[in-house]
Order: sequence, then C-alpha cells, then structure tokens
Amino acid sequence: MRKYALPVHLLLFNVYAQIRSLGWEGFWTLLRNGIVSGSLLALIALGYTMVYGILKLLNFAHGDIYMVGAFIGYGVLVAFGGALSPTIPIVPLIILMFAVAMVGSGFLGVAIERVAYKPLRNAPRIAPLISALGVLFFLESSVQLLTNSAHVLYNSYALGGKNGQFGPLLNPVFHVDHIPFTVVHTLVVLTAVALMVVLVWLVYRTRFGKAMRAVAFDREAAAMMGIDVDRVISMTFFIGSVLAGAAGVMYGLYIGDTYFFLGFQYGLLAFTAAVVGGIGSIPGAMLGGLLVGLFQAFSTGYVGGQWAEIVVFGILIGFLIIRPNGLLGSRAIQKV
Amino acid sequence: MLKKIGLVAVFTALISVVVATTAWGSAKAPRALAAATASVKCGKKVTIGVAYPATGPAASLGGPQWDWANFAKKTWNKSHKLKLAFVPGDTQLAGNNPQAVQVAHAFASNKKILAVTGPAGSQEMEDTASVWKGAHLGPVSGSETRVALTRATPGTPRETTPGYFFRTVPNDGQQGDNVANFIHTVLKKKNVRIIDDEEAYSQGLSAQVKADLQKVGVTVTTDHISQQNPDYNSVIAAIPGGTQLVYIPWQVPAMAQQFFTQMRANGKNQVIMGSDGTDDPSTFKGAGSYVSGFPADTKSGGFAKFKKSHNGQPEMFGLPTYTSIIVNATAIQRACKAGHGKTTRNAIRKQVAKVKLSKTVSLLGFPVAFLNSNHGKFQGPGDLGGASAFGIFKIAKNGTYQRVG
Repeated sequence: MRKYALPVHLLLFNVYAQIRSLGWEGFWTLLRNGIVSGSLLALIALGYTMVYGILKLLNFAHGDIYMVGAFIGYGVLVAFGGALSPTIPIVPLIILMFAVAMVGSGFLGVAIERVAYKPLRNAPRIAPLISALGVLFFLESSVQLLTNSAHVLYNSYALGGKNGQFGPLLNPVFHVDHIPFTVVHTLVVLTAVALMVVLVWLVYRTRFGKAMRAVAFDREAAAMMGIDVDRVISMTFFIGSVLAGAAGVMYGLYIGDTYFFLGFQYGLLAFTAAVVGGIGSIPGAMLGGLLVGLFQAFSTGYVGGQWAEIVVFGILIGFLIIRPNGLLGSRAIQKV
Repeated sequence: MLKKIGLVAVFTALISVVVATTAWGSAKAPRALAAATASVKCGKKVTIGVAYPATGPAASLGGPQWDWANFAKKTWNKSHKLKLAFVPGDTQLAGNNPQAVQVAHAFASNKKILAVTGPAGSQEMEDTASVWKGAHLGPVSGSETRVALTRATPGTPRETTPGYFFRTVPNDGQQGDNVANFIHTVLKKKNVRIIDDEEAYSQGLSAQVKADLQKVGVTVTTDHISQQNPDYNSVIAAIPGGTQLVYIPWQVPAMAQQFFTQMRANGKNQVIMGSDGTDDPSTFKGAGSYVSGFPADTKSGGFAKFKKSHNGQPEMFGLPTYTSIIVNATAIQRACKAGHGKTTRNAIRKQVAKVKLSKTVSLLGFPVAFLNSNHGKFQGPGDLGGASAFGIFKIAKNGTYQRVG
C-alpha cells in the first residue's frame, strides 16, 4: 500500500489546488451544472425505479427511450423550421417539442413492454433481462442506421436569436456570485421538479397510484382484489417513458446535441442513480439522480474530465458493498 | 440428468463455435493471401479501395474525402487511357475501430483492389497495419497525421512497417510545431489549456503542442473529455481563470461546435483553436476561433473547378485525399507499364514510394515526393518530403474560413 501513498497524496494535493484555483465561482458553476444534469438523471432514474418496483425488472432499454425522446424533440424542432429560423414562436415550439416527445416516448415504452416483456412475465427472471438488453441494442442500432451515426445539433442556444446569435434561452434569470443561472438551466430544473411533483401526487394521492403501489407490493393479491394488473403495468411503463422523453428534450435544449449512443451513456448513469437512491424507491431515484449529477460535475471540475466516470461508478460499487439497498431503499422481507 | 445434458450441450456448442471460427478464419486466410500475391492483368480499368468514414460521428469529414476522391477519379479518367474504379469501405472512425478492421480484411481479400486510399483516422491505421502488410498493400492516407505511424517517438515504436504506409499530409509533429508557433508568435498567448478527447490522434497532438509551448515559456494546463459525452459544462468550469486560449485537438467537428457554444453560453470568452480533425466549415462555425487545416493550393485551377462543382464549397479537409488518389493511380500506371500489362500489389506499393507529383498536379501548394528515411525531428519513411505545412484558418462571423497562417 505504501507505493500508492505518493500518487494518492499527489492526487489529493492537485484536487486541493484545483479547488483553491477555481474558488467560489467554480464551486457555484459546478453546483449549478450538477443540479441541472442531476435533474435529467433523476427523471430517467424514475423510470428505472418504477419498473423495478412493479416488475422487479431492470429495464436497460429505458436509456434508449430517453435518446429517442431527444430525437423526437429534434424532429419537431426541424419540422417547424429549426432553431435558426423557427416558423412559430419559441414558447409554443418548446411546448410542442415536449408534448410530442413525451407522448411518443410513452407509447414507445408501452409497445416495448407489450412486445418484449409481457410474454416473458412468467419466465425465469433472466429472460426479460436479456430481452431488455436486446431491446437496448435494437433501438440503438436502429437510430444509428437512421442517422448514419451522426451527431445531430439542436442549435438550441440560437433559438429565438437573430442572425445565429444566442437567443433568450441563455438570458440569465438570476445570479449567484456572478454565476448566471439562465433560462435553460431554470427550465430544466423547474420542469424536472414539476414532473416529479406530479408523479409523487399520482402515486401517493390517486386511486391509480394506490393500484400501482398494490401491484408493486404483491401482484397476485392485487389481481385478486380486482386490480387490472396488465393495465397498471402498461401505465407504469407509459409514465416512466413519458418522463424519459421529457428528459430527452431537456437534454437537447441544454446540451444542444443528440446522437444514437446517448441512451447507453446516460442510461448507465441513471441506473447508477436509481441504485444509489434505492432501486424501487421514487424519492430515492430523485435523490440518487441529484447526487450522481453533483458527483459527476464536481469530479470533472476538481479532479479532471477523465475521472468523472471512475468516480461515479466507483460510488455505485461502494454503495452496493456498503449499503446494497441504497440511501432510501428498504430491505425486502422474504417469507419463509 | 437434465443438468448433465445441459452441460454436454453447452460444451458441444462451444466446440462447434471454435471449429467454425477456425474453419472460417482459415478459409479467409488463403483467399486474402491469394489476393495479396496474385499477378493481375491491368486491363483498361484498375480498382482502388477507398476507406473513409461514410457514416459515424466523423461523417462530415468523410464526405469531403469521398467528394475529392471522386473528383480525382473524374480528372484522371478524362486524361488517361487506364481508367480508375473505386471500391468504397465505410470505416466510421468509431471508437475501438471494428469497422476499420472489417474494411481492411474486405479490401485485403478483394483481388481487384490494387491500391488503397485511407483510412482516415490514425487509430484506424494502428489497428489495421498488420492486415495491410499481410495483404501487400501500402495505404496512402490523406488525413492520418500521428507521428508514430512513420517515425518512432520516445516511448512509442514506429506503428507501421516502412514501405507499407504513406501519407499526403504533413504529420502531427509538423502540425504541433505549426500550431504552437502560431499560438506563441502570432496570437501571443501565454496561458493555454489543452483538452484532448482521449483518442490516440488527440493525445499525440496534445503532447506535441504542450511540449513545444512549454519550451518557449507558455503556461500549459491539460484536461480530457470523452467522445461519448458532449456535456462539456463542467470541463469548461474547470478551465483556470488565467487561460487565454483553449486548444482542442479533436476528430469530430460537431463536438468542436458544441464546445464553442457551451463555452460562450458559460460566459467564457477564451479563444478556441481546433486541429485538422475539426476542419469542417459546414459544422464548426465558432466565430473568432482558429482551425489548423490541411495544406491546399487555393489559387489552382483544379481547386476552382472542384469548388464550382460543389456549390462553392471547397471541402478542404478532403483535398489531400485527391492527392492520394493521384499518387495511387500514378503508381499503378507505372507498375502496369513496367510489367507490360501485368502487375502485383507489391510492385505497385514499391512504385508508390517513388511517385513524384508537381505542385500543379498535387493541388497541395507544393510538390509531392515521399521520404525513404528519417528526416528532421518528426518525419520518417512514407512522410512527405520537402516543404509541407498545415494552414491556420480563422473562422469569420459568417462561418467562412480565412487563412491567416
């Protein structure tokens, strides 16, 4: 272990030096970035956790639904003239992008459930898992083929701007220590929070939400109580995919780019967030998403771009070892 | 009982896969070997394999390469009895280069292919060098710039065999020197941040520029991004306050444009400079940025003709690919003449090493002749000899590229 002492000390010293060098300005910038990307991850993680809660299935294809949502949003943007010359005002354009992407992703999620998972509901658990992996690669390769593997530029920062200049999405809403929190940052965070609030209301305050919780608790008993289990499962996939579609559009508006590999990359991060927060726990997914976003931003800023994934997935492993149920997950009671 | 049957089934399946793979592999090997060593009749038409990223994240660079290659074919076929035909190979320029390897094997076993232009990326050449050598092909690339492809560097042996790789572009040692010199003497920057994308091409260029700048007293800091993650906001936040210029030696122009947009969106106004991998006026349009681009004789008639036939777009990244086609075509023609209408890949490869093109024919702005030994600090056998340098372009407000160095 002694031979690692010097490199570790050097790394820690470099981190300390970087923190000092970036100062409070750097801290607030990284915090802002972490909250924004964490909000996106939280929305995707909710889909993972909801499906796991109901079906005990890790839906690896969920990240690709997020990717498809980003492309649907791009399609709507281009249909109305593109970011550089939109044919309708930007507020209704953005609302339309969200609406079409959310509905489209929702239906895609339901279709995937019906085709790839429902027939395997009574099969051994490994079967739907493999099926999920198959759907992941099917979706990714299909989009790759359709887009020739190219990066697709939203050019969202130019939306509403004149002559290709930056548009109102970059107007600051407020400042913290001279660091602007712009319209797009605020839009992403507030939309994510609003969707999460709606979800929590749906799950904990409505009849349908009660049915979802009942199916998650005991599928057979719920069926015996007269709950349409198939409908509940389909709706769960629909809701999770709607959230992923919204996250996809938000990603496109925030980052300005989308491409076929996005789903795999962010899907893994969101899965990590769901596990860190406690797989099956809705508040856990939100918390996990935020934490992973923050870890990613701070490790990129203070340690280095190449360390971000090492830190995030190292945390995943650490959590699985120390606290396998995640931060807010509960221990499953096994009947004996 | 069932468990035993299952185990036997799995074992049998594994054995079958091994046998099938070996059989397939050994069936391919004689075909590739036959293509490599066969003596072919030249006839009226000869075939060149063109390996380039038709699809993939760098497709916007592959497009210009294909356009210039076809322009070269058209130009050659108008004035020569021996006509050219192409077999394209889409290498995608993706991470881990599986497509590049597949294309290399496909070209190797296609006996019609007498010479190869491409592939586009240095890391693709690293992974396919042994395939080309086994097939007796010496690819002529119009865009691979990594120094180690032609010259051993400290800690890195030469990555191809002399005589089995040529390029019609200066290498990164020259590009690095060019860029560092421009940053220091013209832009007069004293504090530079270099952000590489963790690919071989990027890391080589990054190391070269860093070393050159540090020698003249410029403060250089470094960071890395991944080609898979276009969220640069936190990398941008980590740029130290005193930084005056950010150098991004990347291979994907769309990433460069994204980086520029996110830099400005984060209120960072440092000058951005890209390498030849970002040289794409249709995609990277960050006003006020600089790009290091391939050499081009913009005043030549050939250049003007190409521009006219492509809606006024010069597609400069592809011009050295034109030169590589002309090199291959000239080599094939001479080998066919020397063989009295018959030739082999080896004979053509040896002719490539001897090809000399005038400035008017090369369109690069200088004549082409390949070195057959080490020269200077960075050049080795297969590199361009004589005066050859990258151009530096500034991106204007309307997105056009203007040569400034």
